[in-house]
Formats: sequence, structure tokens, C-alpha cells
Amino acid sequence: MNAGNDNTLLQVNDLVMHFPIFRGVIQRQVGAVRAVDGVSFDIRRGETLGLVGESGCGKSTTGRAILQLYRPTSGAVHFEGVDLVHLKGEELRRMRRKMQMIFQDPYASLNPRMTIADIVGEPLIVHNVATGREVEERVQHLLELVNLNPSFASRYPHEFSGGQRQRIGVARALALQPSFIICDEPISALDVSIQAQVINLLEELQDEFNLTYLFIAHDLSVVRHISDRVAVMYLGVIVELADRDDLYLNPLHPYTQALLSAVPIPDPIADAKRQRIILKGDVPSPVNPPSGCRFRTRCPIAESICAEARPEFREVKPGHFVACHLVK
Amino acid sequence: MTTYIIRRLLMVPVLLFGVTVLIFGMLQFLTPIQRSALYIRSEPKTDKAVEGVIRQYGLDKPLYVQYWNWLVGVVDNNGERKGGILFGDFGYSRVASQPVADLIRTRFPNTLDLTLWAVAPVILVGIWLGVQAAVHQNGIIDQAARVFSIVGTSFPTFVFGLLVLMIFYANLQWFPPGRLSDWANRVVLSDEFTRYTSLLTFDALLNGRFDIFLDALRHMFLPILTLSYINWATFLRVTRSSMLETLRMEYVTTARAKGLPERDVIFKHARPNAMIPVITLAGFQVVGLLGGVVITETVFTYPGIGQAAATAAAQLDVVTVLGFALFNGFILIVANLAVDVLYAFVDPRVRLS
Repeated sequence: MNAGNDNTLLQVNDLVMHFPIFRGVIQRQVGAVRAVDGVSFDIRRGETLGLVGESGCGKSTTGRAILQLYRPTSGAVHFEGVDLVHLKGEELRRMRRKMQMIFQDPYASLNPRMTIADIVGEPLIVHNVATGREVEERVQHLLELVNLNPSFASRYPHEFSGGQRQRIGVARALALQPSFIICDEPISALDVSIQAQVINLLEELQDEFNLTYLFIAHDLSVVRHISDRVAVMYLGVIVELADRDDLYLNPLHPYTQALLSAVPIPDPIADAKRQRIILKGDVPSPVNPPSGCRFRTRCPIAESICAEARPEFREVKPGHFVACHLVK
Repeated sequence: MTTYIIRRLLMVPVLLFGVTVLIFGMLQFLTPIQRSALYIRSEPKTDKAVEGVIRQYGLDKPLYVQYWNWLVGVVDNNGERKGGILFGDFGYSRVASQPVADLIRTRFPNTLDLTLWAVAPVILVGIWLGVQAAVHQNGIIDQAARVFSIVGTSFPTFVFGLLVLMIFYANLQWFPPGRLSDWANRVVLSDEFTRYTSLLTFDALLNGRFDIFLDALRHMFLPILTLSYINWATFLRVTRSSMLETLRMEYVTTARAKGLPERDVIFKHARPNAMIPVITLAGFQVVGLLGGVVITETVFTYPGIGQAAATAAAQLDVVTVLGFALFNGFILIVANLAVDVLYAFVDPRVRLS
């Protein structure tokens, strides 16, 4: 990828996350789930990078490995120029103030035994940002910010709906005034009517606080709405990365083309006329991925070279990266 | 919270009624004259006397009359109330030749003493080990704890009890069975020793007799060891698996993402949530121990309620056994109430439901 300039907030280089598989009495390692297998991209300050792909392709793992919630197997993650992979203990903990995460499941991600005030206020206390009365005031302010009644602060998570809980999660993530937030499918557990609320909230907050988002999702229309640039993942690797409009109007990788052709169009006549690319077979196992190009087993245009060499992730047009041998 | 506790309290009379009906139902398997043990000390010998007793105590009356008599007792010719479980009179143990209530009063404190000393190490060490095993999954502590617990669960109480008896009593002579040494027993039975609580270890401390306290503990050591080891195994496994499950919860990841130090993640976020099934188990174990640990008390000739119940059962003293069962039912209800209230403190979700 191009060298990071001043505008780059996060730089991910050849990130690899393998989960070892142990078998037998002596727990010998017999293999690994190659959840993320060499992923590189930059995120610029203030932008939203969308990360899409099917379930199990390694999107969430990428997010968690960036934040060091999983320790990556290899590769580098530079945040504001600091290499996170080799940070430990206290230093890493201090970096967490600047990067936060909003989780997919608003039911599972809030500690059921803590009040909202404790959940949202705890980061302020552990990072010595505020104490006593000040924590209370900050919590009240944060709840207002996400359009929740500040008087709810003394309640417990189970007293809220899914949408409200997700907004609590957003308030919690904002508490430390981070510059970077990973949104890990923040709306896929919510009703459609609530999804718009949360998306709009995230956009408003981005404008107000100049936030940078890595937005992980499998809903292509939502990603198109919120992202500036979009990366497409397949079986642990990024196959295509481009500006949003460029990617949606002019997809180059056969997987992206298939994915986009499956997005429903709310017009029956147009929908009937278009060509849908139906992929054959299942996603191969990440324990034993295909040689060469990982997509070749399902690719409608695969040739012999695809099985031999792993395609390079190269810039075919300014700002448009593709990993495919057959794209000129 | 208050409504929740009140609702639980309202359940208590219902449960008590259920327990009494059940025990009363079982008493009906006895002949009327066997049931007279509920009211009088010795069984009448002549036919005429038998008939008189049956008539006087209504032992041939309809069930609801008998049930009522059993609850509140019957006034005899001398104007004295006989029987009446509501007044704490559970009838006579003809085998032990004393009222069942007296038998419970002398035996139960011994069992309670043993339980208190056995439960504290079980709960504290069990939880500590379980948490450590889960946090360092597949580490040395975990492997050792798993072996320790599988051995504990597979060991029958009587085998383990006999084993420690052979080692620590027969061979090493460190810890004798029974309740007290003779010299200590003489002091305890004398006038200068006040029985404040009936719990020997506590009374010994309250009387300032540290030597008697140590003697009592020495006699209790082997039963405590046996009960602890067997119960540790269960406790450790439940704590470990509950903790492992909690550590995989997303709010634990959230806590890490917030930037909490790892010990706060474990002890402030994960452990409190993992304690919910552990509390249930603790409740069951305490009740089980209080109900008298028949085998342990028998192996170590420890004069607790379990040993008394075993003796009574062996001699078909049904009234005594059912008296114990009734008493045990009360304890169970109280302990369950305690667990329910504890739940409300531990899990805010319970307070509303």
C-alpha cells in the first residue's frame, strides 16, 4: 500500500490472525483457522471505511485484531504512527483511550450487573479522566448526546430495548473522546426501523467530533450509505478496496460483482431485468483455504494461473485496489 | 426489590403447608397405635388401654381431624397438651426414649457446627480455585484442579472417610473420631461451662476455653476434610465452567476494550456474573449438609442429626425419621428463601421478574 501520509490515522500491514487448533491427549497443534490471512489497508482521519463480506470471512476478527483484543499472529498495525502489535500492558491500555469499539450484540455487550452510569462512567474512572461528581456530569452529557434520557443512568441494561442498548454502547464508546471507533456490525441485531436511528446518530457524532470509523457490516446498502471507501473481504483476505461510488458502480473483482448483483433493487421491473451472478458451492474452510486465489473455487472466470499464484493486491486505477490476476 | 422479597415470603406458608401434608400423608402408613408415638411416650400394653389411647387422641377420626390434632396437639386428662408440631412437639422417639424435639435439639447443633466449619473452606477455596482454573484454562492450576476434582467426585464418601480414618487415626493418631475427649466432655457437662449457643466450638471460645475449642476442632477435622473434599469437587467444577462461560461473554471483551486492567476485567466484570449458578449450588450444599450427612457422621461416629436419623431408620422408628424429615423440610425452605434473596442482590434482572 502507499506510504502513510499525515492524513493517515490507521495503517494495517499484512495483518495475520491464525487461531491454532489443538488435538489429542498432549494437545498438539494440528492446524490453524486462518481467520485473517494478510490484510493491508489505511484509514484516513475523519473518513469511514466500510468492510463488507459474508459471515465468517474474518471482518470482525480483523476489527478485533486491530484493537489488540486478539493478539495478531503477525503483521503490523500503526495507529497515529504507534505500532500497536508490540505494545503491552500499561502502554496498550493508555492507547485504548483513543480507539474504541461498538459491538454487534447490544444484549451481550453490556454487563448485566452494572447500571448504565457505571457502564458509561467506568472508562472515565479507570483512565483517571474524571472523578466523583464530574463522572456523573459527563455520563449525563453522554446520554443526552445519544438521545437517551439522562435520568435513566441508574437503571440496568435489561430495562432497555435493543436500540436503546446500542445507543448506550455508543455513549460508552464515546466516553473517552476517542478519535477512532470500530463499529462491528452495530446495527445487524436491530430492527430495520431502529437501524436508521443508530446510523444517523453515528453520522451526526462523526461530524460533531471528527470521528474516524471502521464500519464492519454485511448489509451492502447500509455500507454504501455510510462509507467513504469500501473494502470487500473474502475468506480472510481483502479482494477489492475503492472509493464507495467507484466500487458500487464499477466493481472489478468477480466476487464483488457477484455480491453487488445480489443486492435487492426496490423496483420489480429493473430487478427482473438485471443479471444476477449466482456463485456455486460453499465458502471453503478457512482451516485449509484453496491455493493461489482463494476465490478461484467459486469464481465464474477462473483460469489455471489462479490456482498457481496468489494474486497481488494492486492499484489498478488511482485509489482502486484489486486482488485478481484477470483484472487488467 | 421489596416486592420481590415479599412475594418470596408469601410463598413460605404455602410451602410449609405442602411439607406438612406430605409428611402427614406418610404417617398414615402406620397403624393408629403406632401413630400414638406422636402423643405419648410408651405404647399401651392391654387391648383396653390401646382402645382408650386411640379414642383419646382421635387416631381413628377422619383425616382432617387427625391432621389438625397433629398440628396443634391434643389436651389429655391432666389438662396437658400432648403433641402439636406447631408448638415444636414432634412426638416421641421410642428407640431413643426421648422426645424427637429433644433429640433434634441435642443433635442438630453438632451438625450445624460441623456444617459451618466445612462450608467456609468449601465455598472460599472452591470459588478461588474455580476462578483460577478458568482464568488460566489448560494451565497447571487448571489441570491439577481437574484431576483433584475428578478424583473427589469419584470417591465414595465411605471410602474416603475410611481412608483418612486409617491414615490419620489408626496410623498417625492425629485426629480421633467422636465429638470430644473425655476430659473435655467432663468440663463441658459441668456447671462452670455455659452452653450459650449449643455449638461446641463457639461455646468453648465464649467460655474462654481455647483448649476445648482445639479439642473439638481436632475431633471434627476428619469429617470436615471428608465433606470439604467431596464438595470441593462439585464447587470447583461449577465455578470453573460458569467462569469460562462468562469470560467468553461480549461484555468481558467490552471491559477489555474500555482499557480496564486484566484483574478488573476478571474480578469486577466476569466473576460477579459467574457467581449466579454458584450461589444456587451453595444453597443446595448447605441444606444437604444441615440435613445430616449420614455416611460421614456414621463413619466418624460423630453425634449429629444424620447419625441419629440412621439409627432410628435402622430400628424402624418411623415417627422419629419423619420428625427429622419435617425439620429438614423447614430448613430447606428457609435456605431456599435465603438463596432467592441473595439472587436479587447478585443479579439485577431477578429483581423485576
